[in-house]
Amino acid sequence: MILIHINNVAQSLTEPTSLAAVILAQDIALDSVAIVLNAELIPRNRWQSILCQHEDKLELFSAVAGG
Amino acid sequence: MQVMNKPDAITECNTLNDKDFMRYSRQVLLPEVGEAGQLRLADAHVVIIGIGGLGQLAAQYLACAGVGELTLIDMDKVEVSNLPRQLLFSDADIGLNKALVAKERLKFLAPNCTITAYETSFNIKQLYGVLQKKRQGKCTLVLDCTDNFETRQLINRSCVEAYLPLVSASIAAFSGQLFAVDQISFPSSGCYHCIFPAHTRVSHSCSTQGVLGPSVGVMASMQSLVAMQLLLGMDSRCDGALHPLLGHFWRFDAKSLSWTSAKLTRDPYCDVCGVRKAIPYLT
Ligand SMILES: [Zn+2]
Repeated sequence: MILIHINNVAQSLTEPTSLAAVILAQDIALDSVAIVLNAELIPRNRWQSILCQHEDKLELFSAVAGG
Repeated sequence: MQVMNKPDAITECNTLNDKDFMRYSRQVLLPEVGEAGQLRLADAHVVIIGIGGLGQLAAQYLACAGVGELTLIDMDKVEVSNLPRQLLFSDADIGLNKALVAKERLKFLAPNCTITAYETSFNIKQLYGVLQKKRQGKCTLVLDCTDNFETRQLINRSCVEAYLPLVSASIAAFSGQLFAVDQISFPSSGCYHCIFPAHTRVSHSCSTQGVLGPSVGVMASMQSLVAMQLLLGMDSRCDGALHPLLGHFWRFDAKSLSWTSAKLTRDPYCDVCGVRKAIPYLT
């Protein structure tokens, strides 16, 4: 089993899952967030091809544009 | 200051006058600044886009710290709902253009600073002045202090095309974001569009979500701190030796007061920085 953390909440995956699939499973639209994977921002074009590894730490957040 | 009138002057050959030495003594005392650093700030030109909560404070910090030249851009007028956090403005300024009011105020706060104000929305032509300075070997920087996603995309694109370093801060409700990118010294960190492509769905803004003044102040202070250190770290020809503050994306949670940092990575397929489409007359 693959254990990952999404915004500090532990979650288990039964099979290798892409970043894109993990986000969609959270009911989050792909075009509404950015992903930090283990302290590195991952451009959207790579979300399909990166598979989550055991103990990966994901942070999802949306754009803040105010000022 | 003498050095400002001589574009090709090498700052190291000049010295601060006694008056400025006193004025900036707490900065000059830092080994990271020193006299050479203070002269470097005097030789620098920073463009601040958006003179709202973030921009009005960044403008004060940079002007008062001795940055030689500022360009201030904002089409908005001062409104009563701005006053709890935009402390440069007062009731008497309501209805007046923010960039113009800021320019007038800063004349008294920072007499050494040369200020140009544009009372229009941002367009890339407003960067021509700073690009001229860049060609003369001065340190230049753009600060994104605006309040909407579309303008942030336009500023990012313009900075990529013009090869100008960008320090961007934002805040809404209790969430702040901050990053610094430079296409010349650190192209591998990409740009804003690599993180949030232009078609990204965005819902947050101060006008719809609200914000506490000090949260804005924290973000503007951090943005100014990054800006000053980038200016101090650049050599006079702006070759921009790789600076440790470049290529990071910081998030601030104003409820828990916690900061999170992530490394930026360039999207090779980015529409903005992935395929270089520099406009010849801008470079
Ligand atoms: Zn990019």
